[in-house]
Amino acid sequence: MSVSKKVVLLGHFGVGKSSLLRRFVENTFSESYTVTIGVHIMKKEVHLEKESVTLVIWDVEGTDDFTKYRPSYLMGASSFIYVFDASRPVTYSDIKYNLEHLKEKYPHISVHIIGNKVDLVDPEVILNELKAQDIQHSYLSSAKTGENVELLFENVAAQLLENA
Amino acid sequence: MLDKLRQEFLENTTQILILDSTNRVLETDNSLFYIKKDSDITDFHPFFHVISSLFDDDRKEQKFYCVQMEVKGKTCFYDIRTVVHFEKKQVVLFVEDLTDHYKTVHQIKQVRNESIINFNITQELNHELNVQRGFKNKFLANVSHEIRTPLNSILGFLSVLENTNLDREQLDLIGIIKDSSKNLVSIVDDLLDISKIEAGRLEIKNKRFNFRRFTESLIKTYELQAEEKRLKFVSDIGTNLPRFLIGDQLRLNQILINLLENALKFTHQGTVTLRVSTNSRNMRRIPVTFEIIDTGIGIPKEHLTTIFESFTQLEKRGLFGGSGLGLSIVKQLTQLMESDLEVQSMEGEGSTFKFTIFMGVSHDQKEEKEISRIKKSEKRIGGSKKRKYRILLGEDIEVNQLLMMRLFADEGSYSLDIAKNGEQVVLFLEKYQYDLVLMDLSMPIMDGYDAAMRIRNHSDKKIKKIPIIALTARTTEEERDAAKESGMNAYLTKPINAEILFKTIDRLLHRYKNKKKEEVKE
Repeated sequence: MSVSKKVVLLGHFGVGKSSLLRRFVENTFSESYTVTIGVHIMKKEVHLEKESVTLVIWDVEGTDDFTKYRPSYLMGASSFIYVFDASRPVTYSDIKYNLEHLKEKYPHISVHIIGNKVDLVDPEVILNELKAQDIQHSYLSSAKTGENVELLFENVAAQLLENA
Repeated sequence: MLDKLRQEFLENTTQILILDSTNRVLETDNSLFYIKKDSDITDFHPFFHVISSLFDDDRKEQKFYCVQMEVKGKTCFYDIRTVVHFEKKQVVLFVEDLTDHYKTVHQIKQVRNESIINFNITQELNHELNVQRGFKNKFLANVSHEIRTPLNSILGFLSVLENTNLDREQLDLIGIIKDSSKNLVSIVDDLLDISKIEAGRLEIKNKRFNFRRFTESLIKTYELQAEEKRLKFVSDIGTNLPRFLIGDQLRLNQILINLLENALKFTHQGTVTLRVSTNSRNMRRIPVTFEIIDTGIGIPKEHLTTIFESFTQLEKRGLFGGSGLGLSIVKQLTQLMESDLEVQSMEGEGSTFKFTIFMGVSHDQKEEKEISRIKKSEKRIGGSKKRKYRILLGEDIEVNQLLMMRLFADEGSYSLDIAKNGEQVVLFLEKYQYDLVLMDLSMPIMDGYDAAMRIRNHSDKKIKKIPIIALTARTTEEERDAAKESGMNAYLTKPINAEILFKTIDRLLHRYKNKKKEEVKE
């Protein structure tokens, strides 16, 4: 039996958190945008070289103000995935402020920063933009094409096992 | 009794469950969904993985709002309250079904979020467009400067060459080169105007002007041009139009010139008509309608909507020349004047362009005495042979220096000295006596703006007040404003028109002389 770990997807609304989750769990994608209210939870077992881990992923309603997240949603999390939309600067312009809040309230939980919708932008332009704003991102992904989605969650799972 | 009524008429919307710390179901009333006793609740839904972490937390109670679950094929939204009994290692769950309420919330948030995202995307696109537009405008300003500088020399020296001993054939050839160069200048001007309009930097400046004289001058020019093409030029200017009106003469002129040039260009036989009229007797503001009617080649119906787009030329073979910007500028200028340019056309029969603008009526309809007084004194200054005015030119480019020397050589009333940069201009002013400074703006060591500021802040009163005329190939409003701010009195753009140059010099010398007289009287 594999160990279960809670992972929470955070970020502004419309950045593609639910799409990333559906791409990862069901390998599906829809162009239409459906708002997530409250929380939607899915799980998937990730098989790594020697062990397996079940990621219980909480897809939380998007907000630009992380101080508004309900503590019960984040309780018991082992990892946060901070998703932004690479095609909308407004979704990553406040990244530092929100990270500071997470660091203060949840100092022991690792944060992975993901720039989604990379299929809509020139990767070189967004990389330069992130560099200019000193944002240390983990991956640029696309729920639409599936680019880096599997890799992202595998990496999260591996890190969780490593820290277990 | 009440319990019976409740059971009969009210739907139970809350399910109560008791679990142990290993997620095992100890008790459940199964009001909302069915779960077998002793089963692992995490098999029902992954949300319940949270149970184990409740025992790691100090708080006895927690509430999880709006948890989305698929139950019997339907999406449900539950608020779940948990109460932990640490001593028994049990947790009680109250699962309340609020699906109907949250579905309404969902609809509201869907609309709200979509509109915010669309707004963000529009803002982003606008930002990108503005960056591109800014780049384009800067590029156009630079290209314009680079083209204007050599054009200045070409046109200037052509005028000089025209006045040497040439035979008729040579004069004809010079005429062709001159026309082509002027054409190039007008294309550069059009490009700059388009970029200014797009950047929202072109302002309509309404001033009082002699409307009758304005139309007379247009008619004279185009009567001659029509005659050259063996066309008839008809003018119909309403007799009820006031002599003096308030409007933007420069831009109105630009609109009418563009439309009249087009009418003449595309008409090979028949007439070109300029009709100006008003149906109002209002004493403050009247609608003035302008119509340019031709019997030319006309415009195909399918092109009537595209002729106002930039770089649209119906005559693809290039027989008629031009940049394809004229009508686009005219359309945008009329819009800036709160009007709209209408076109009616029939292929092979001709076209009518029509627009109506509101113009102010000047209270004073008398000819200004001041103007004639200035004219008289201009004549006095220009024609005076008694004293030569000393002009100092600040210019670093040799070919431009040569051109100015040549232009001044034909004028007996002035002598010209040349300084190679702004620093030298200031030095010469301190060493010798001058009446006026002509200043190029881009110069090495010290540019024209800095030199002008030095002059205006000079301790010597005479130097401080000397008139300065900026001569430049740069034509943007910003540069014009910067020149004004640095203390320059006039701004002339290259290619320099000799007539305008000497008129401006005379005007400033006259003003300077009068001021000096007043100071002496005081």
